[in-house]
Amino acid sequence: MKKILIIEDEKVICIELANLLNQAGYETIILQDFAMSVEDIIEYQADLILLDINIPVTNGEILLANLRKKSNVPVIMVTSRNNEIDEVLSMSYGADDYITKPYNPTILLLRINSIFKRLENISDTIIYKDLVVYMQKGIIKKGEQEITLTKNEMIILNYLLTHQNKIVTRDELMTDLWNNDEYINDNALTVNISRLRTKLKEVGHAKAIETRKGIGYILS
Amino acid sequence: MKLNKFLKEKGYVILSFLILYFVLLLMFMAFKIDSSLLIATTILLHGFLFNILMIEYWRKRKFYTDLIENIKALDKAYFVLETLEKPEFYEGELLFNALYEINKSMNEMVKLKEEQMRDYKEYIEMWIHEVKIPISSLLLMAHNHAKKFDKKTIEQIRRINDNVEQVLFYARQESAEKDYLIKKVTLSKIISLVALKNKDDLLENKIDFLVMHVNEDVYTDAKWLEFILNQIVNNSIKYRNKKGAYIRISSKDESDRINLIIEDNGIGIESADLPRVFDKTFTGKNGHNLPKSTGMGLFIVKNLCTKLGHKIEITSKVNVYTKVVITFYKNQFYAVVKKENR
Repeated sequence: MKKILIIEDEKVICIELANLLNQAGYETIILQDFAMSVEDIIEYQADLILLDINIPVTNGEILLANLRKKSNVPVIMVTSRNNEIDEVLSMSYGADDYITKPYNPTILLLRINSIFKRLENISDTIIYKDLVVYMQKGIIKKGEQEITLTKNEMIILNYLLTHQNKIVTRDELMTDLWNNDEYINDNALTVNISRLRTKLKEVGHAKAIETRKGIGYILS
Repeated sequence: MKLNKFLKEKGYVILSFLILYFVLLLMFMAFKIDSSLLIATTILLHGFLFNILMIEYWRKRKFYTDLIENIKALDKAYFVLETLEKPEFYEGELLFNALYEINKSMNEMVKLKEEQMRDYKEYIEMWIHEVKIPISSLLLMAHNHAKKFDKKTIEQIRRINDNVEQVLFYARQESAEKDYLIKKVTLSKIISLVALKNKDDLLENKIDFLVMHVNEDVYTDAKWLEFILNQIVNNSIKYRNKKGAYIRISSKDESDRINLIIEDNGIGIESADLPRVFDKTFTGKNGHNLPKSTGMGLFIVKNLCTKLGHKIEITSKVNVYTKVVITFYKNQFYAVVKKENR
């Protein structure tokens, strides 16, 4: 399980953020003592740090600069400072991403996910039961049998695969699609899901995507 | 400084002299003094008066002419004192000193006002960062406890955030300081951020969001442009038509410029209102039919565009379309930035 360190002084946000990340399957640590040294922070061995710029004792940017001298742990700056100068500064100190408050929680999870993917250099093939899914090519293979997916179908399938056995809401799917510059509407999402189902049926997984009425979908 | 006006001003001296001369003439005649002495005295006295007047004129002329000319030449007249030497005649010295004092007190006042404005702006920015914390908390809570919050609540939270953003950018565009950063930005990235921000509103109201070809790079401040586009898209959503509404965004490279076009098929703007849409607090006919608008959005947008060196134009036909074109020039200013960013 991936461990995420939250460096943020607002208690409510810490709790809700931890809640969100736990639900998404991450382990979380909330930093309690802001006077902690960089070494102590490294001790936590977090896989990723969510760092607010406005924190007591020090400042997120300075902390990041000090951290970068000793560690390459991915850092996402999370801040309410909506200005380009801070963003450029943070990125130049070695932040991996920069998100301004208030953020869409689904987007935050997508960004975290994409950093882990990039770092682990995950090959773009995913194995699902007896299927091999080639993300970039947009192809599903079952033995010799090959099925081509459209970009939208691939985005949906990818999201379902990374959240296997969890309920995925329509809003999450929609957010991921829009995040990939596919600005489709509700009808198109329904159409895409039913097409994806038909294609999965062709390779013998007719019941792979189940509908949970009023909530969303689940890939079992 | 004109000679004739100067002489008119010195009329009392000339008049006193003439009276004196006339009395002298009468006295000379009464004492039957030799006429050659009379002529000599006349020349001497007139020469003396001429000399006094001319010397005074020449001494003052330089200072006052410079003062008037320089005030005309300067685009900021209050700098005039810096261009002048302190005059050597008494009146000039008095004026110079008085001007100096006035300038000093005005500068102090301007500085005070600037400080007050900066403090105010800093407070506004700080307050906005503060208020964003509970807004963020609310959005996270709404996401985590979806059963307790419905979509309408989230929509209201987002509306608060949009209004808060507007205040932030109003404070920014009013301030004299440069708090933007121009660098290369890909249009599609900003559009993506704006799309995600408005996703729920667009889906809820069944507005198709069509993004054509927007892979151009422009030189701008990403955050400012995001705000600008967000305002425009917000307007398109607000002033949509009931059926088959869409917002279409495309860009076009036209050798010396890049045009970003945001077009909708909404209720449009009356042609009489069009020239005033960028005016502060102007709401027009649209604003009267729908829930009250502040008329600040486009005013701020226009100012931000001007500061960034972009041109913004709106064309519209009632009940047919509204089309906003933002022009990013590829001029020398940006070439310099390009060089620095390399």
